[in-house]
Amino acid sequence: MLLALALALVGSVSAGGERSSAVSQSFPLYNAGEHVDGFPLAAVLRREDTANYVSFIYGDCVAEDDAGCAPPVEIQVWLSCHRNLGLYGGGAVAGAPLEQIVARGVPALIFDGGTRLELETGRATVVVFAGTRARLIRIVAALRALDGTVLPEHPLAQPARGRERGAMNC
Amino acid sequence: MHRLALLVVAAASVALVGTPALAHFDAAARYTHKACPASAGNRIDPINVVFTTWGTWRRAESQVEAHAGWTAVSGSAQHFVDHGGCAQMHTQRASGQGSRFHARLRGQHADPTLGWTATAVAHHEDLVLFPVPCGHAVDANGPSGSGFDQARDELERRFTSAGHVSSRVWWGNTQSFKQCDGDYAASDGWTVFIQLHQAGDS
Repeated sequence: MLLALALALVGSVSAGGERSSAVSQSFPLYNAGEHVDGFPLAAVLRREDTANYVSFIYGDCVAEDDAGCAPPVEIQVWLSCHRNLGLYGGGAVAGAPLEQIVARGVPALIFDGGTRLELETGRATVVVFAGTRARLIRIVAALRALDGTVLPEHPLAQPARGRERGAMNC
Repeated sequence: MHRLALLVVAAASVALVGTPALAHFDAAARYTHKACPASAGNRIDPINVVFTTWGTWRRAESQVEAHAGWTAVSGSAQHFVDHGGCAQMHTQRASGQGSRFHARLRGQHADPTLGWTATAVAHHEDLVLFPVPCGHAVDANGPSGSGFDQARDELERRFTSAGHVSSRVWWGNTQSFKQCDGDYAASDGWTVFIQLHQAGDS
């Protein structure tokens, strides 16, 4: 039900707006289905302010007064012209060593002790947050395009962003 | 152009840490935690402000009071990670007791280029009393960014208005955090570096 609502609301996300070029372009959404690793899809967030992405949150946590909490799994989908692996300077970010891998056939980086992975596919950058490296890998395996063009465990489309040319225009 | 300059700053920071034996600013941990030991499961807030250039936590605390006027001290404790070690914050300051700006700070390793440093998690939070009284909740993502982004921007505005130099570095710590009112808030991934020492300082 939530997924159907998400599809209806953000099935094709416009990249228009003040920070984008006049040409509005859509980008495909990816998530891990209705459940992943035992966690149900709990929320779909559309952020379009100082950041521009769609977030799929799986599972729940208990927030308290003055202390938020981290949901067990989150998948964010950004336009790669806004967020891409090129932001990390080809190997490290502000002192933190990066782990470069190939995930589902596309370039990816692992951060934060194996609890965050970013990969580029097509015009999108998919950012996965999970509590452990093992869970992170399982979620990446479960990624699928909401428009049905990419199934779980199948190769992802190669990045549209030209590495030599840097970020593409939005 | 602005972002390019920031990436240069980031690259400079990277260059600093090529020799592990030397003390340096550790940017590997980008969240605070509810308790130690730190884990991905007990993350609370994204780090979004770094005070540099004689950025001791005492000095940062004093200048947050002076420039932003945040003098209230109430709030729960959080924990920071530095070079793999987890420790409780050193201090916190807020703009009031109800809906307010709030920042928690901890002094970190000195760095050959950045000097003394302190990291901070800043946010704007509402005091939520209805429909379910739950207490302080960071503002959800909105037109001005999340509560995390609003407070970072407010500190940057206040400090630069007072003559301090600032720059932004992409950290990508955009994980969402559920708040006690059921909303979610996340950083937009940019961390501001604020130099506490000014050219006129002795």
